[in-house]
Amino acid sequence: MTIGILGSRIRLEEKLLLEALRERGVSVERIDSRKLAFELSRNGSDDGHSPISNLQSAIPVDAVLVRCLSHSRAYYLTRWLEGMGVPAVSPHPAIATCGDKMLTSAALQEAGLPIPRTRVAFTPDAALGVIEQMGYPVVLKPLFGSWGRLLARINDRHAAEAVLEHKKRLGNYIHGVFYIQEYVDKPGRDIRTFVVGDDTVGYETIAAIYRSSDHWITNTARGGEAANCPITPAIDRISCAAVRAVGGGMVAVDLLEDADGQLLVSEVNHTPEFRNSIDTTGVDIPGRIIDYVVEVAMDGKSGR
Amino acid sequence: MGVLCSRVRLEEKRIFQALREREVPFERIDARQLTFALGRNGSNDGRCAMSNLQSAIPFDVVIIRCLSQTRGLCASRLLEGQGVITVNSFRALKTCGDKVLTTMALKEHGVPTPHTAVAFSQQTALATMDAFGYPLVIKPPIGSWGRLMAKVNDREAAEAVVEHKRALDADEPVYVQDYVAKPGRDIRTLVVGDETVYAVYRHSSHWITNTARGGKTSICPMTAEIDRISRAAARAVGGEIVAVDLLEAPNGQLLVNEVNHTPEFHGAVEATDANVADRIVDYILACIET
Repeated sequence: MTIGILGSRIRLEEKLLLEALRERGVSVERIDSRKLAFELSRNGSDDGHSPISNLQSAIPVDAVLVRCLSHSRAYYLTRWLEGMGVPAVSPHPAIATCGDKMLTSAALQEAGLPIPRTRVAFTPDAALGVIEQMGYPVVLKPLFGSWGRLLARINDRHAAEAVLEHKKRLGNYIHGVFYIQEYVDKPGRDIRTFVVGDDTVGYETIAAIYRSSDHWITNTARGGEAANCPITPAIDRISCAAVRAVGGGMVAVDLLEDADGQLLVSEVNHTPEFRNSIDTTGVDIPGRIIDYVVEVAMDGKSGR
Repeated sequence: MGVLCSRVRLEEKRIFQALREREVPFERIDARQLTFALGRNGSNDGRCAMSNLQSAIPFDVVIIRCLSQTRGLCASRLLEGQGVITVNSFRALKTCGDKVLTTMALKEHGVPTPHTAVAFSQQTALATMDAFGYPLVIKPPIGSWGRLMAKVNDREAAEAVVEHKRALDADEPVYVQDYVAKPGRDIRTLVVGDETVYAVYRHSSHWITNTARGGKTSICPMTAEIDRISRAAARAVGGEIVAVDLLEAPNGQLLVNEVNHTPEFHGAVEATDANVADRIVDYILACIET
C-alpha cells in the first residue's frame, strides 16, 4: 500500500505524519504541489521527463492525505485526483466547504447543527444595515483565510464603518461578500476537536483541546494556550455531526460555549495543525490520522 | 419567480417582459440589498431567512442574473439550501465560473477541449509551456469578459506574464491552453434546457472575440455537430441556461472553449431573431410544472 502526502512545505505536522506512516510500514509518496502540473485534456505522452504528470500512472497511490497550505491548490489537486479515482482525505467537497465560511455555515445549518447567529450581505451598505439590526458586538470574517487573519470584532457603529470601508478598498472578490456573526461571549476559551470519518467507516473524535487566551481570538498560532479538554458525549456528538455535515475526512472543529453552556460550531478546518495538541492530550494524533487514511485506502482497494 | 440581479440590462428587461406577457408573478431581487440570515435565533426551522425583499412571496424558482460571480454563487447556494430552485444551479455556477473545473467536467464527459494543463508554481508553469510549445494562452481560472487573458508567443512573454500573475496572486494556479488558430472568429451558442437555441459567429481581428471587447456577431448556420457538442457541454457542467463558446480548429474539429453561466444575448438576438427570453421563461415554467 502507498499513501500520498500532498503538500509543499514539510512542517512539524507533516514530519510526524511521515513518521507514523513509516512506523506502520506503509510506503509514502510525497507529492509536492509546487512541482506539479497536471494535464486536463488529451493524454500527452508521459515520458517521465514531462513536467505534466498523470499521477495515476506515474505514482500509484492508494489514497492521498491532503496537507496543502494553499486552499486553492488543495482544492484543485484533490478534485483532480478524485476525478481519477484516488480517494482523498479530506475529499474535495469537504475542502471546498471548509475553505469557505459561508458554505460551512450553510452545510452546518442544513444538518441541524447549532451555529452562531450569522448574516450574509453583498454590499457595505447592506452589511451596515444588518450589523445595526443585530446589535453590537459582532464579528466580521473573511470567507476564506485561516490563523485568525482579518477577523474583526466590532463593538460600535464607528468601527463597523471603518472596517467596511477598508474591506471595500481591499476590493478582492473574497471581500465582496460580508459574513457577519454575533460575538459569542465565550469563557476566555474555545474548544478545538480533531475528528476523522466518513459514512463508510464511521466517525470519531480523536482528541480535543481548550484554547485559552486573553485575546478574543484564541488560535494557538496567535498565542492561545492549549489544554486537554475531556471529550464529553455532547462534544463528541457535535464534532462528528460537523465533519459529516461538511462531507467527511479529517478536520478540526472549533466549538464555542455560550453563556448558557450551549455548544455552537464556529468553524471547521481542513488541514489543521496539531503540534500543540499531542502532548497536551496524550493522544497520538498523527498516528490516528494515518490509521484513518489507511482505512480509506483499504476501502478504496476493495472498491467501495 | 424571482430574478436576482444588480443592474438591469437589456437581457433582464426582456426576461421581465416575457414574464409579464405570461402573467407569471415575479419579483426583481436586488442583490445589493439582499441579505441572508443563518444560525440560532435567526430562524429555528433549519432554514435561512432572506430579508429585504419587498414582499414575502416564497419563490419557486430564482433566475440568477448577477454580474458578480461571488454574489450569484453565494445566493444560489443559500437559496438552494432553503429548497428554492435556482437557474442556473449552484453546481453549474460553480463549475462554469472556474475554468479549471469547467475543463475537468468537459474532459470527464468526453467533450473535446483545447489541450490544457494547470501548474502550481512559476517553475512548473514555464516547463509546462515549453512542453506545450508557443503560441499558447494563459487564462485566469476565475474571471470573465476576456480580462487578463494573455496570448503568449514565446518564452520571454511566458516569463513576464507568469511573474506578473505571481505578484497579483501567488496562490492562483496557472491555466495554460493551446492557442487554437481560429479563422478570425469563434462560435457562440445558447443552450436552454436540452436545446440549442441559436449559434452566432463572433468576428474580431483581435484574438479575443468577446463582443464586450468589440467583437461583431453574425448568424452561424446550425449544424448537427454544433448542436450536439453545445448540448453535451451544457450537460457536462450541469448548465440549464448557458452560452457555449466553440473554436474551429484548423483540422475542422470543434472544441469547447468556455461555458458561460449568465449569458448576455442581446447582440445575438438582433442577429438571429431568436426569442431567447421567451425560451428561457418557457423552459423555467416547464421545470416548475414537473
